[in-house]
Amino acid sequence: MRQALLLFTLLAFVLAGCNGGTVDQHALDNDSESIDSLACEGALLAGEIANTASLTNFSRVHAGELYTRAANFEDALSTRPTTPGIEKAVRAEAKKAGRIAALFDQLAADPSNPALAAKLEPQFTKQGGCT
Amino acid sequence: MKIFQVALGILAAIGGFVDIGDLVFNSAAGATFGYQLLWVVVIGVIGIIVYSEMCGRIAAISKKAVFDVVRERVGFKAGLVTLIAAQVVNLMTLAAEVGGVAICLRLLSGLPYRWLILVAVFGLGAVVWITSFDWIERIFGYGGLCMLVFAVAAIKLKPDWGAVAHGFVPHLETKDTLLYFYFAVGLLGAAMTPYEVYFYSSGGIEEEWTEKDLGLNRANAIIGYGLGGFLSFALMIVGGALFLPHGIGPETLGSISLGAQVPLGEIGLLLALIGILFAVGGASIDTLFSGAYNFAQFFGWEWGRYRSPAGAPRFTLGWMVLLVLALGIVMTGVDPVQLTEYAVIFSVVALPLTYLPILLVANDRAYMGRYVNGRLANVLGGIYLVVILAVSLSAIPLMLLTNVGQG
Repeated sequence: MRQALLLFTLLAFVLAGCNGGTVDQHALDNDSESIDSLACEGALLAGEIANTASLTNFSRVHAGELYTRAANFEDALSTRPTTPGIEKAVRAEAKKAGRIAALFDQLAADPSNPALAAKLEPQFTKQGGCT
Repeated sequence: MKIFQVALGILAAIGGFVDIGDLVFNSAAGATFGYQLLWVVVIGVIGIIVYSEMCGRIAAISKKAVFDVVRERVGFKAGLVTLIAAQVVNLMTLAAEVGGVAICLRLLSGLPYRWLILVAVFGLGAVVWITSFDWIERIFGYGGLCMLVFAVAAIKLKPDWGAVAHGFVPHLETKDTLLYFYFAVGLLGAAMTPYEVYFYSSGGIEEEWTEKDLGLNRANAIIGYGLGGFLSFALMIVGGALFLPHGIGPETLGSISLGAQVPLGEIGLLLALIGILFAVGGASIDTLFSGAYNFAQFFGWEWGRYRSPAGAPRFTLGWMVLLVLALGIVMTGVDPVQLTEYAVIFSVVALPLTYLPILLVANDRAYMGRYVNGRLANVLGGIYLVVILAVSLSAIPLMLLTNVGQG
């Protein structure tokens, strides 16, 4: 019984401990990597829409999901307190997340438009520094 | 006829083995470490084969499923701890799988997510209520076969096969050792999730296995989970060949589906989505039944889909309550993919409590007569128990130290 209680306590601890708090260099590095990853996935998705065919519902829903993730990073990094010396970098990362979110917003709004996707693909690539 | 029965078992194993946890951990492991962790899948697949064969044999010979055995061998108190741990993990997994079904439906239809959660829950409830055990296996097994598209995608992506082969040899080529071990533990947990043996052993009793079916049991375990492992390899290779070079960390089912779209186009995407839908749907039913089986077996209630709902009322009520609880969890808006990561790691903690009684009973002549474990099964079972114990002790510390795999 004690083991089960311990399991519950740890679960509550872990779930409650997610998100929020001060942004330090480690958190910034992780978030920056995740934001770049979103942009690179945007480039891949846009490339598929531009060059081959994709299911419209899939493209709209998936671009919308990636938009939400990028927008969440923008919100969090714009407002969360930071450790000294890195605030400028954190806010810059928030702006980058916002630019990526805006690109996803355009893609989700018109997911069956190859010309638009072709225009957005290099912008995603540039934002994420994708290879 | 025997071949047909094996085929059904294989299909059921594919549907049950590659659940949302396997999808996430295998793809993310490939995207983070390339092919370095393929060897862990091999270890996990051998482990689940060893223990599934054992509990299938126990079911065929002693007519007892896993939780009958747990209750009888470890007593009420320790059995209750096992039951609570198993049911917490089961419920988390069920909620994650139901959420996964809704996500797949949304990616296919574009309809609102919360409505699709309701569709998923009512659809699964209707399938379980109306459909026979055999047909559930067929529907979700055949549908789950669409997941083979990831194997084709892996080949089309032209991975470095030398590096792939090297991945089957344990090695460490990263500075992030903790994250490497977190993924290793997660992959092992995803491959050996306890609900698989609860479902497998109870399924053996549902199908009225006898000692004549021991060959069928062995074939189901080896070929079925072997194929499941093959799909896990494919997912990790896609992760390593596509997502890693592009710097993408696949965190959603949509991202994982892109892994089939890029090399195979629209048809690849469609097959991936259908395959994931049926695999995750099959896993929902496996976990749903497992939860109800566990309660019924532990408390000595009538159970089984071969009985009518009125013939096993508390079993029927059990799965209905679990489905409603899962609905409540998913409706809170929790991310199913994140939930499955917690479920997989916490399931690792419950592993020794599940697998130790199986090993003990498989060696007990009072239950098994002349069908007790042979030397190979005991050596492998013992080694895996040590591995499971080590992994279960390190799972939660690794989860906390790596910030749930975020580094």
